[in-house]
Amino acid sequence: MSSYREFALEREKIDFLLEQGYVMTAVTENLSGAFIEFTYEGNDPKKEKKERLQILHPDSRKYFSTILFQQQKQTK
Amino acid sequence: MADLRLNLAGIESPNPFWLASAPPTNSGYQVQRAFEAGWGGAVWKTLGDPILNVSSRFAGVSFNGQNMAGFNNIELITDRPLEVNLKEIYETKKRFPNHAIIASLMVEPTQEKWHEIVKRVEEVGVDGLELNFGCPHGMAERGMGAASGQVPELVEKQTMWAKEAAETPVIVKLTPNITDITFTAEAAVRGGADAVSMINTINSLAGVDIDSWDTIPNVAGKGAHGGYCGPAVKPIALNMVAECARHRNINVPISGMGGVSSWREAVEFMLMGATGVQVCTAAMHHGFSIVEDMKDGLNNYLDDKGIGSVMDLVGKSVERYSDWGNLDLNHQIVAKINNDVCINCNKCHIACEDTSHQCIDMLKDENGNDILRVREEDCVGCNLCSIVCPVDGAIDMVDYDNGKPPMTWNERQAAIGATASCDVKLVK
Repeated sequence: MSSYREFALEREKIDFLLEQGYVMTAVTENLSGAFIEFTYEGNDPKKEKKERLQILHPDSRKYFSTILFQQQKQTK
Repeated sequence: MADLRLNLAGIESPNPFWLASAPPTNSGYQVQRAFEAGWGGAVWKTLGDPILNVSSRFAGVSFNGQNMAGFNNIELITDRPLEVNLKEIYETKKRFPNHAIIASLMVEPTQEKWHEIVKRVEEVGVDGLELNFGCPHGMAERGMGAASGQVPELVEKQTMWAKEAAETPVIVKLTPNITDITFTAEAAVRGGADAVSMINTINSLAGVDIDSWDTIPNVAGKGAHGGYCGPAVKPIALNMVAECARHRNINVPISGMGGVSSWREAVEFMLMGATGVQVCTAAMHHGFSIVEDMKDGLNNYLDDKGIGSVMDLVGKSVERYSDWGNLDLNHQIVAKINNDVCINCNKCHIACEDTSHQCIDMLKDENGNDILRVREEDCVGCNLCSIVCPVDGAIDMVDYDNGKPPMTWNERQAAIGATASCDVKLVK
């Protein structure tokens, strides 16, 4: 049994949305894990304005929050 | 040859090893034997109104053939009149003027009682006083010991009363039978304590005889809770010392005790903030002569480290102890199994598979030999496999570079909080 695969799948989803021009605009954490709200900031009218991901794996929750943390440090 | 001399709040001793207030320091005969053996100091068994004891009094807790891994007692404070103890303290101090003699004291929580005993004890030339606010059994039923030591206001007030009369340094000995020992340590400091000591024994019942159904120990078939000490309590004691040492309002020296059995534990306690250690169970188990190895071991350790004085050890690890929220979530270690050392007992595989994260595979090498291999991407670095491994060097826990920057839980939560308050908008 490999838990890494679950992490890798969730990481891919996060990376995909970020590469498509979405930005993380809200994070909610509760008993079911983390819910990240992505908002599209690009120019493609075909894209959904909002996307939402539920993140279950602990490594994925570290992953997206590390991106948030790094970016905040850079913008300060 | 390192300098082993200790100075705790002005109390000087030739080395940092003191006998704790307990059965080994019951009489002048014993304390003088201890000083002859090489102990640097002794905290005399607690003085107060002489009590009556029961028989039996002690119980050892063995684990996997290790005798006295833990030790439980229901013995009370001194059963000898104050005058007898004072005469022997005087004689002992006269014979060993350079050794530290500290009188442990316990009286009812009134100002008059504290003033009286402090004055009488100081007259015979003790180097310091230790207020016993920790004894968990018997005396606590009478409102003394742990009963008063669990109430910060009483700790503060009684410390103040003792200090009003005292001319020698006052150490306040704290009970571990409380949710957060820093509350009572702070109270002692507010009361004017020159030092605190910890830990006294932990509430305990050593066992139940499953044939007779009697408690262990028992007195004519009836038991009562006792105080637990010995090697098993060291981690609890060490944490309490460390929590006090890093607390900003507890700025007095700490005398550490609880499971010190060799020079190694003494070093640990001192690194975590203790100015010297007190020992009881190890002396009861092996006799006073264990102090020779303790002194030699400590001296060699200091020489190896190039440290000139034992006092230079005090508190050196305190800044490395923090709250969980300040630990780096992104730091990663993984297990590495050295198959040339491994004996294929499979304990690591079983432990990981049954009780951890299922990341150790049982495989065959190219020659068909059984080997164990860690899937590093699934390993959470919990250490369990290396802990259960019976062979030194078969499993190493090694740093794993995941390329992520350090990020603590507190930093993570702040970052997520910033998105909620729309402080930032983030892209990869």
